[in-house]
Amino acid sequence: MRDKIAIATGSAVATAPKGTRLPVGLRRILAPLSVLLTLLLVWQGSKLLFGINDQKLPHVGQVLGFFFSRTRNGEGPLQLWSLLLNALSTFSVALGGFVLGGLLGFGLALLFANSRLLERGIMPYVIGSPTVPILAIAPMVVIGLRRLGAPDYLAQIVVAAYLTFFPVTIGMLRGLRSVPADALALMRSYAANGTQVFWKLKLPASLPYLFTALKIAATASVIGAIVAELPAGAKRGVGVVILNAATYYNSRPPALWAAVIVAGLIGLAFYSLVVLAERLLVKGRRAAE
Amino acid sequence: MSSANPIINIDRVHKIYPSAAGNVTALQDVSLRIAEGEFICLLGPSGCGKSTLMRLVGDLEQPSQGTISVKGKTPQQARLDRDYGIAFQAPVLYEWRTVRKNVELPLEVMGYEAARRGERAQAMLRLVGLSDFASAYPYQLSGGMQQRVAIARALSFEPSILLMDEPFGALDEITRERMQAELLNIWGDTGSKTTVIFVTHSIPEAVFLADRVVVMSPRPGRIESIIDIDLPRPRTFETREAPRFFELVTRVRASLREH
Repeated sequence: MRDKIAIATGSAVATAPKGTRLPVGLRRILAPLSVLLTLLLVWQGSKLLFGINDQKLPHVGQVLGFFFSRTRNGEGPLQLWSLLLNALSTFSVALGGFVLGGLLGFGLALLFANSRLLERGIMPYVIGSPTVPILAIAPMVVIGLRRLGAPDYLAQIVVAAYLTFFPVTIGMLRGLRSVPADALALMRSYAANGTQVFWKLKLPASLPYLFTALKIAATASVIGAIVAELPAGAKRGVGVVILNAATYYNSRPPALWAAVIVAGLIGLAFYSLVVLAERLLVKGRRAAE
Repeated sequence: MSSANPIINIDRVHKIYPSAAGNVTALQDVSLRIAEGEFICLLGPSGCGKSTLMRLVGDLEQPSQGTISVKGKTPQQARLDRDYGIAFQAPVLYEWRTVRKNVELPLEVMGYEAARRGERAQAMLRLVGLSDFASAYPYQLSGGMQQRVAIARALSFEPSILLMDEPFGALDEITRERMQAELLNIWGDTGSKTTVIFVTHSIPEAVFLADRVVVMSPRPGRIESIIDIDLPRPRTFETREAPRFFELVTRVRASLREH
């Protein structure tokens, strides 16, 4: 019957009987996987179609091969390994910035939720902060912190935090304001104190909004970490690798592409961790938008 | 009946809200005495101040003038002593807690220990007929069921006074009538009689539930009349078909028209 309806409505959706459908896990990867395959096809396809030479756009195979070639003229460890170590360095800076920016954003949101006056005074600067180009802020932060004797990676963390705290402030504030007035009235009728209202009502109610903001903050902190490597003169990190690969592009094109892919993967990994945390903490209810 | 052992004394209460367009008099010179164990319905159109009056009794707001005493105390003291159980039109359950944990919420706030909390929650869920749903989450429940959980929660700490602000307003007619009957059962089953103030804009609902219907009118909010409902208890679906029921509904409706 269902098949008849599908044909009648011209629907192209497969209405295969349940037994022949793929398991859920496989189905979930299928869509992004097919997009990836399509991208690779477009990559190779456009080389053929537009005759792009290997200098401008290496073969997919060449990039993959680069991952498995060796550093230091064939005598060092695998490029893949070197890239992963650099990625780890960037990742840890991003994590530091994420935590710092997250805490700052969280604190600001609490402040603003309790004081309209402070919100009105400080919020414009909070909103304006991400519009100031990070490439301008980063060197200022690095120089400023160096004068105070702080290690360079701290400056990088601060820059990463700078991009992080804004979405967290907005998201958390929205979450705190999402608490219905009736729920607060009920708490009042139980003669609950402020601490109880916060831990039992306001915080759990804010979590979906907080996590939406944290997902944005995760990718923002990776960007901040990468951008901050350059003015800080860092020795390790994906940003450094990208800069080197760009400088020496002509002698080895695949290196840049490989580095950029790794940078994207760091962002993806970070994001996935936040999603995992969300699934653990925000359980049993439908997620906010 | 109205003067026997008054537990709530509302004395010449006024409530005025300042606004940009001039002051709004939500309540003007309202006085009312409610006896222990009475079921009072506040009935009237929008803007008559019925919800405001309930909130004043529950210390969710303060009167601009006049006094309210509850069990010989101020409403604030009664609130701090946890004398009120409240149910609003929206169930306002915590979506991140199971049904059982929602019912336990006030008990947690009030410092009951875990074993006692579990006991009370179980008993309340049994009372409202939702024992099977203790581990479910609110989103899995229908509107009527959620409201029953809200009522279970309101009664979990055995308050002496139940304040209800149009709790069945968001439900369909059929479910409403069933919930009204269930509420009366639950109220009867609470042992030591709980005093109830129930706000509604439905005439049949008010007549079916109440010992007395307090008819209110707006602009400014005030009590128009108080009508004794002498229908026998327990009230069932048969009560709704009794001639006396229709007489009382007509009388209440007539009273609403006079203003």
